Amino acid sequence: MSRHLEAEELESLALGAQPGEPALMHLAECEGCARELAWARAERNLLARRPAPAVDHLWTEVARRIATSSEQGRSLERRRRAPHWAWRTAVAGAGVAATAAVLLIMLRPATEHAVTPIPIAQQQRHEAPPGPDAKTLAALDRAESDYRDAAKVLEEEYARLRPALDVKLAGRWDETLTRARTQLGEVQKSLVAQDVNARMRVLDGYAAYVRSLRNAVLQSQEANP
Amino acid sequence: MIFDRQAPGVRRFLGDLLRDDAAADEGTQETFVRAHQRMSSLLEPGKLQGWLFGIARMVFMEHLRRKRRDGLPQGDDEPVQVDAAPTPEAALLGREADQVLDQALAGLSEQRRAALLMRLDHGLGYDEIASALGWNLQKVKNEIHRARLQLRVQLSGYLEGST
Repeated sequence: MSRHLEAEELESLALGAQPGEPALMHLAECEGCARELAWARAERNLLARRPAPAVDHLWTEVARRIATSSEQGRSLERRRRAPHWAWRTAVAGAGVAATAAVLLIMLRPATEHAVTPIPIAQQQRHEAPPGPDAKTLAALDRAESDYRDAAKVLEEEYARLRPALDVKLAGRWDETLTRARTQLGEVQKSLVAQDVNARMRVLDGYAAYVRSLRNAVLQSQEANP
Repeated sequence: MIFDRQAPGVRRFLGDLLRDDAAADEGTQETFVRAHQRMSSLLEPGKLQGWLFGIARMVFMEHLRRKRRDGLPQGDDEPVQVDAAPTPEAALLGREADQVLDQALAGLSEQRRAALLMRLDHGLGYDEIASALGWNLQKVKNEIHRARLQLRVQLSGYLEGST
């Protein structure tokens, strides 16, 4: 007797595949395979004869959702292609420089001032705290310069987007930015180049200003996709 | 249009899995929205149906997880008993047989039901089913085999009662 038919073959026959000569011959002489085929056909027929469900009413919602998601996708793509990389890079760079400056200040080795015991008379001569080292000052300069650059890029971006903004919204952002600029200016006035704390306050002022600018730009972009 | 050709099958598949018309309608819509979003992941256009069923099953599984989370009742698995009785095909064509079939399908576990329906109702090949369900071929064979045995137990009971 030829080989028995696999379940997959029997199912395929039940699904309408044409049996080859060997399969036909085997089915004619093998009661087991013939019974299995009869079962597969019965199962298939029972399943297939059920009426097809109505689906016409489903399309409208599918089309609406596809259209919505496509529009969102286009909007995102437009945003992605806009030259945002410039201000995003500038803001990120300023943030990195500021963080580096802070880390440098915090990580300055404390041992520099505590290794050798100093006689009291000498201590009195050294009462004034030692000034920041050159590295710290350079890091502060760099962070401030980066923040200035970031602010400049953002100001240009905001100026570009502002005309299309709602008048009231633009007015509110102008106020916010003016306030942040004023605060920054006040801190800068009291700046002493060698005073690390005063320099850090300036960086804080810049950070607040850049943050406001960034938010203004983001909202302007959302308003003008 | 893909929707016109494939939606009836997807809707029926989801109807059989979910056993809830509203949920099956919603699942069908979700399947086609997702299919549209993921069209680029269809590597073999000839296997569109299996690909769609794979998405539909994911939609079904998510629905099931939500149901389980919300503590709603769900289908269960049944023990398999092998049956060797002869099968008069004609006897299975009565109207009551549809009800028996419906009950028998309801008694299968979700994954077994999915595999069986993909194979015998929608005519997908074992490899397509494996791909759609993320199984290996052996598991597809086993699950379809067990599903059919379970189905046969129910149908045999009906046949014996009707003769």
